[in-house]
Amino acid sequence: MRSKKFFLPIAICLILAVTYGTVTAGQAESEPYGPQINQIIMPIIKDLDAQLIAFMRGDIDVYPGLSRPSDLDTVKKNPNAEITMNYGFHMFYLCYNMRRDPLEADVFRQAVAHVIDRDNIIQTLFEGYMLPLSAFLPPSSSYYKDDVPSFPYDPEKAKKLLDEAGYTIDSATGIRIDPETGEPLRKITILTPTYEMAASSAELGKIIAEACQGINLPVEPEPMDFPVMVDKIDLREFDMYVLAWELNRLPTPLYHFFHSSEDFEAGYNNPGIRDPELDKVLEELYYAPNVEVAKKAADKAQVILAEKQPYTVLYSRPYMDVFRKDRVTGYVPMHGYGAANYNNNWTTLNIRPSEGTGGTIRWLLPEEPKVLNPCTASTAYEWEVLGRLYDGLMAVHPETMEDIPWMAKGWEIGTWEPEPGKTGTVITWYLEEGIKWQDTTAFTSKDIKFTIEYLRDNKVPNYIAMVEDVVKVETPNDYTAKVYFSTESYWHLYGADANFLPEWIWKDVKDYKTFEPWLEAHPEVPGLTKLVGHGPFILDQYKVGEYVRLKKNPIYWKLP
Amino acid sequence: MVYSRYLLKRLIYALMVLFIIITFNFIIFRLIPGDATKMIIDPKFTSEAKAELKREFGLHEPTHVQYIKYVGNMIKFDLGISFSTGRFVINELKERLPNTMVLFLTSFVLTVVIGISIGVYTASKQGTFSDGFVTGAGLFTYAVPAFWIQLLLLMLFGYYIPILPVHGTISAPQPYGLFLQILDRVHHLILPAGSNVIVGFGSWALYTRNTMLEALDQDYIVTAKAKGLKENIILRHHALRSVLPPIITLVFGALPGVVSGAVITETIFSWHGVGKYLTDAIMMQDYPAAQGAFYLIALAVVVCNFAADIIYGFVDPRIRIGEGGKE
Repeated sequence: MRSKKFFLPIAICLILAVTYGTVTAGQAESEPYGPQINQIIMPIIKDLDAQLIAFMRGDIDVYPGLSRPSDLDTVKKNPNAEITMNYGFHMFYLCYNMRRDPLEADVFRQAVAHVIDRDNIIQTLFEGYMLPLSAFLPPSSSYYKDDVPSFPYDPEKAKKLLDEAGYTIDSATGIRIDPETGEPLRKITILTPTYEMAASSAELGKIIAEACQGINLPVEPEPMDFPVMVDKIDLREFDMYVLAWELNRLPTPLYHFFHSSEDFEAGYNNPGIRDPELDKVLEELYYAPNVEVAKKAADKAQVILAEKQPYTVLYSRPYMDVFRKDRVTGYVPMHGYGAANYNNNWTTLNIRPSEGTGGTIRWLLPEEPKVLNPCTASTAYEWEVLGRLYDGLMAVHPETMEDIPWMAKGWEIGTWEPEPGKTGTVITWYLEEGIKWQDTTAFTSKDIKFTIEYLRDNKVPNYIAMVEDVVKVETPNDYTAKVYFSTESYWHLYGADANFLPEWIWKDVKDYKTFEPWLEAHPEVPGLTKLVGHGPFILDQYKVGEYVRLKKNPIYWKLP
Repeated sequence: MVYSRYLLKRLIYALMVLFIIITFNFIIFRLIPGDATKMIIDPKFTSEAKAELKREFGLHEPTHVQYIKYVGNMIKFDLGISFSTGRFVINELKERLPNTMVLFLTSFVLTVVIGISIGVYTASKQGTFSDGFVTGAGLFTYAVPAFWIQLLLLMLFGYYIPILPVHGTISAPQPYGLFLQILDRVHHLILPAGSNVIVGFGSWALYTRNTMLEALDQDYIVTAKAKGLKENIILRHHALRSVLPPIITLVFGALPGVVSGAVITETIFSWHGVGKYLTDAIMMQDYPAAQGAFYLIALAVVVCNFAADIIYGFVDPRIRIGEGGKE
């Protein structure tokens, strides 16, 4: 074991490219005011080839989330294309079922980790367009810890580890012997999706299996239909599998993925790790009263996980977004979200035509945003639209990834006593004055109260984990809201920053699940629908299957 | 009397077939490996939220109760709520069906007319260069994968000679004025419909050519020639007419495509249709959406077959009049 220093030239080149992308798009000015354009038209183009053609011939100005290396090569030939690359929150990993022999042995998992040649995988399968990753949090998270134990590619080291642990080689079969039983190891499988479903994942399983066979471990890939694979994982009927997570900037997934309380059928703790020391650290993390405690606990958890290797993390897919630089400027590359993701409101505010302001930007939408209801919308494509209609109480700083004031000019995190002897969290928000909903109604603390209580009382599944601990919401005045939680946790800060709903529209909604606000006309303001937000853009038109048109919110509180 | 009895019998068969399809439609999605409830129930949901979602979609009830309710709902055309979007399936299908119908009908009519015309023409020119060329082209487009031809056309007319739109049914934004909007739709239809015609005409042409060649060998054609009739009249009035019944069978057999759509075409040209909806629903294990789409297709198949039965009654006197010779 040694500190990780195995990022080879490809990785270095890609990391440089990521940095370069951030720098060259430096014409971007991350001003907290906008929008600088009059409208965004989002053509819905689902086929990858058609997307590429549409960009190359100038039908679209913003081409987010390029995924095929061949497309990147094509785009590079266009002198008007600028590519931005940023670390994302994607994490591809190999998971071990630690409930099963011999995978429960630390040394076994560490040996497997040593035979995985990430750089070769990335070069072979992705032509170099992935970032090697061995950490349990992505580098774009402010909780990412760099200096943790790692297991770089070193098959000789792997053999030595196994030899020393008693996994000697059976001369008859050439397979290593299980020191517990004295018998050759049983066949061990790696579940992968089929080649038809996800060719790179299937091939990856094969590469890892072959690498394991190279150190006399009887590992075989087992491609299968994705739903069957998910079922087997949920029922814990697997040895190893390869899959990906799309994480976020918070470290709380560590708790869900690796705390023993999550080790139940279909729970998140797929490897089944049950380590009392890790549990304690993860509890400190999950119930941290402040960011300092959270940071310290996240660091400790990452060190333990790196050593235990319940997953061997393999690589991360960076965000690769392409812009027509002859037509648009002002986009802001941002770690974690790329330059064109809806979470990056800096690009939304600052993007503008190459010359002057106003005008129209054509922004690709690669799938249908089927549901524009903020309570039920779940896909990224839906939030690509909705995310530009709403603002949050906080924003994320484009460089440091830290929380900064937005609709709330400040906040306090305190404690209270929900019942004798128990400590809860109370978040106090101080709102900016003068913010208006798009139909000119003032945005006040009463909207916060209504939304949190609506989500909690209706048990809206997408939000229930965030608001179920809310005991009450007080509004001492129009610009102060106090949200009381029954438990103590710094992360309640994010639970209290939901996507707010205008009370005068939503209070009469009988069934939030079948409510289609984007299809119903606003009762008072012509031209608006009941999909009313307070963000920089208004939904102007959604032609199903064709395009979405957003127009500038003329009363946006952050207009330049 | 014989004909009405015949029709009644066909109607009963059609309804039985529809019922069997509905039943299979229910069973088959429950036999697919994998737990469909995972599409709607995230493991991070609380047990209360999980139970609520199961109740909402009727998944908490025993299978036989789900089946009885399902059959009742299908009869009422209540196709349920999609697992993945939470929207009424009927509304989602209504949004897509017109697009699928426009694309299919345009492609279908052109394919059939062009294919049959070419088939008749090549049959009359058997052994010539044009026969060889057209037959070869038909075989080629029939044999190669449809998506390959469509991608080539997409590249050719979308990028190298960029005169045609590469996605959707209308421009974004749509032009103002009815006339311009119609032109815009036609402009968007050229590439997907044209590619369908190129992909599909071969099979119709080859089938027509072969059946025509058989017909042209018949004695009544020799008689017609001996009577001194013009070749054109022999072809259209004698030979073509005799091969029309099997072609009508094929036409009606293919007509349900008007609701099932063409998955590959819809995907490549970002055409918002039923075909793509169905494949997405299957991939997502979205029971209500897939069941709804299959129900619609099954209904179309049964209706088209029934329509074919009615028409056979007209074109084949043995069915209309009966063997006894009384109408």
